[in-house]
Amino acid sequence: MNHLPQAWGRPRDDVYGTYDRSYLQTSTPNSHTQSPAVTGTSVLAIKFNGGVAMAADKLASYGSLARFTDVKRIRVFDKTTVVGFGGDISDMQYIDRLLDSIDVEENYSSNGNTLNAKNVHTYLAKVLYKRRSKFDPLWNQILVAGFDDDSKPFLSSADLLGTTFSAPHLATGFGAHLAIPILRRLFPEEMPVENIGKEEAVAALRECMKVLFYRDARSLDQYSLAVVTSDGVELKEDEKLEAQSWNFAENIRGYGTQVN
Amino acid sequence: MKAVENGGTAIGIRCKDGVVLAVEKITTSKLLKPGANKRTATVDRNIGIVSAGLVPDGRHFISRARDEASSWRNIYKGPIPTSALANRLGGYVQAYTLYSSVRPFGVTAIIGGWDPESELLVDGQVGTGPKSGSGGKVEGVKAGGPALYMIEPSGLYWGYHGAATGKGRQAAKAELEKLDLSAGNLSLYDGVKEAARIIFIAHEDSKDKDFELEMTWVSSLDGPTKGRHEEVPTGLLEDAKKAAMRSREREVEDDEDRPKSHDGERMEE
Amino acid sequence: MTSLLQLQSPDFETIGYSFSEGSRPGNKEHGFYPYTDNGGSTLGISGSDFTILAGDTRSVSGYNINSRHSPKVFKIGGDDETGEGAHIILSVVGFAADGQALKESLDGIVNMYKYQHGKPMSVKACAQRLSTILYQKRFFPYYANAILGGLDENGKGALYSYDPVGSYERVQCKAAGSASSLIMPFLDNQVDYKNQYVPGSGEGHALERRKPEPLPRSTVEQLVRDAFTSAVERHIEVGDGLQMMIITASGIEEIYSPLKKD
Repeated sequence: MNHLPQAWGRPRDDVYGTYDRSYLQTSTPNSHTQSPAVTGTSVLAIKFNGGVAMAADKLASYGSLARFTDVKRIRVFDKTTVVGFGGDISDMQYIDRLLDSIDVEENYSSNGNTLNAKNVHTYLAKVLYKRRSKFDPLWNQILVAGFDDDSKPFLSSADLLGTTFSAPHLATGFGAHLAIPILRRLFPEEMPVENIGKEEAVAALRECMKVLFYRDARSLDQYSLAVVTSDGVELKEDEKLEAQSWNFAENIRGYGTQVN
Repeated sequence: MKAVENGGTAIGIRCKDGVVLAVEKITTSKLLKPGANKRTATVDRNIGIVSAGLVPDGRHFISRARDEASSWRNIYKGPIPTSALANRLGGYVQAYTLYSSVRPFGVTAIIGGWDPESELLVDGQVGTGPKSGSGGKVEGVKAGGPALYMIEPSGLYWGYHGAATGKGRQAAKAELEKLDLSAGNLSLYDGVKEAARIIFIAHEDSKDKDFELEMTWVSSLDGPTKGRHEEVPTGLLEDAKKAAMRSREREVEDDEDRPKSHDGERMEE
Repeated sequence: MTSLLQLQSPDFETIGYSFSEGSRPGNKEHGFYPYTDNGGSTLGISGSDFTILAGDTRSVSGYNINSRHSPKVFKIGGDDETGEGAHIILSVVGFAADGQALKESLDGIVNMYKYQHGKPMSVKACAQRLSTILYQKRFFPYYANAILGGLDENGKGALYSYDPVGSYERVQCKAAGSASSLIMPFLDNQVDYKNQYVPGSGEGHALERRKPEPLPRSTVEQLVRDAFTSAVERHIEVGDGLQMMIITASGIEEIYSPLKKD
């Protein structure tokens, strides 16, 4: 008889016969995610002197339906890392739980959690790449912000294919088309990050969120805003767009019911 | 069983706003690195375990506790309550008494935790829930709080106000009883001081051996550890140690002033 | 009766109803395609005692520029993250995530070789091993064009060029990536002296070809710069910065210089 702990309480093969595993099989083959379901739109982020700022609106869409309007798409890891998610919300929740379990395990060592944003980004990129290689992708575009090994501001992107890249300002989804040109004009890439103040950076993000709300049909005027500095993460999850002006809409022709 | 009783003393005190765990770590060699080879461990974020007895058995026990905590999270999307963890571990330890192929655990473990008193977010939760209506939430329910359990090699476990195991447990228990813990008045900071003092008292019996005092604590969400199980900060630990040593010296002086009689602690052995 | 039979005409089959099962052309399955092209170009030229690998630093997806500083040339077999102590260089262009994975797997193998054999892996062995790594994923390939550079056992510049499934050859010079078709003919002419003849050597078949000889480092560096500045003019996916790695007997030198950002 097998006395090993893993055999405890299990039916014995010599008494009951070997277990017929065919009952476990489902009639249909496993199917992997081939498209996202409930999705979040753009995430924006920018490096400034001594930190990184990130913004993402609170909408989760089901196709063209604005399904959930209070979804927090910026997640905090440990004390000085934030992760912003675009794409599938349920995959975001899965990744969030993954990060949570890593945080718990990391704190088991007596020197505490030592993972920085760079480590988290490397990890997430590998998770995403592994899943795409299994043809079972996690349908997200992710921005990771915080600090690197030299305690310098860190900002990097990873997507469902495992592609990674880094730049002083990044945006996913619609933001890559609309926000990036604005941010590049305000803060040219050759300009040192040290010359960008925190308030400037945050103001620029707010402005970009406004432009995105004007032009991205899957966006919302409520958003989360995270500012990471060496003091920690300041996460505001009840931000609203201010001073909107829809005057430009008067001049749009060809989409509405106007005659001329 | 002998092994369990002869390890360094470990104690736990359940205070009104947190739990303190302390262990007398006998240093068997001067070559060992001070502060290394920890005997206390964190499970999930809010639970601590300290054990007396066979160190490797203690390590396995902690590993199992962490697995249980993580599997609970996988199912319920939240932290395991300390009582549930004690229950699962009690069952696990007991199973090792049932079979001829395995030997029982050589440890007595003390589990201390703080179960969150506020409503917790579900792991991975994205929204805030409904703004109007009850939303399934019941206001003003008192939940969570400090918890302290001790599990014996038989699998027997009880909840305690103060628990002690290891070689000096008799002396420690006597001291714990004096604290009137069931009244629920002892604060966490006082608990730290008392725990240090009790470990020093419990060490009297093995005075010839060097030891390190290892102490961890877990407080309420608005307390010093914000609901997490952590090592007691070095400054506080040193203060507690000094206070403990001073009070020991005082007691020794008192003993010397009094006419020589060998009752008291000695009798309890 | 005849009318009934007529109902069973071939036309009957072709009539569609809204409730009928079958293929609905408007309802397309959104499949998952595991590749993307991140653009950019790489270029390698070997000399008598050096090898140069170069690449632009732009990363694109579609018409978007992801980043203006995303290096494509990596040190292989280094002691730490910075690549210090490496003796082989690798450039990858194509699908960046596969390129990154390929680089990491080769780097791991070259390091393991060093730990197990107590000596650095030769470029020749590394070149063969890289081919095997690529071929192992023959039916789900790394979508990347690799160029491997180093110095051979005689101290001469060594350069190996690969296709995505591991076919490889040692070459004098090679361009890869989106602007390879623009750069390669330039290299043929300027490195191999294709279509260059010795002046006054004769007419027609008697014309004597100009003999290619190993080029000095300064000339090669200038060729690389010229190749990229030209490619930037004609290819939208190439630009932003030029990364050059020069491997010589005294180690690896890395030079970054700007390219047009338009």
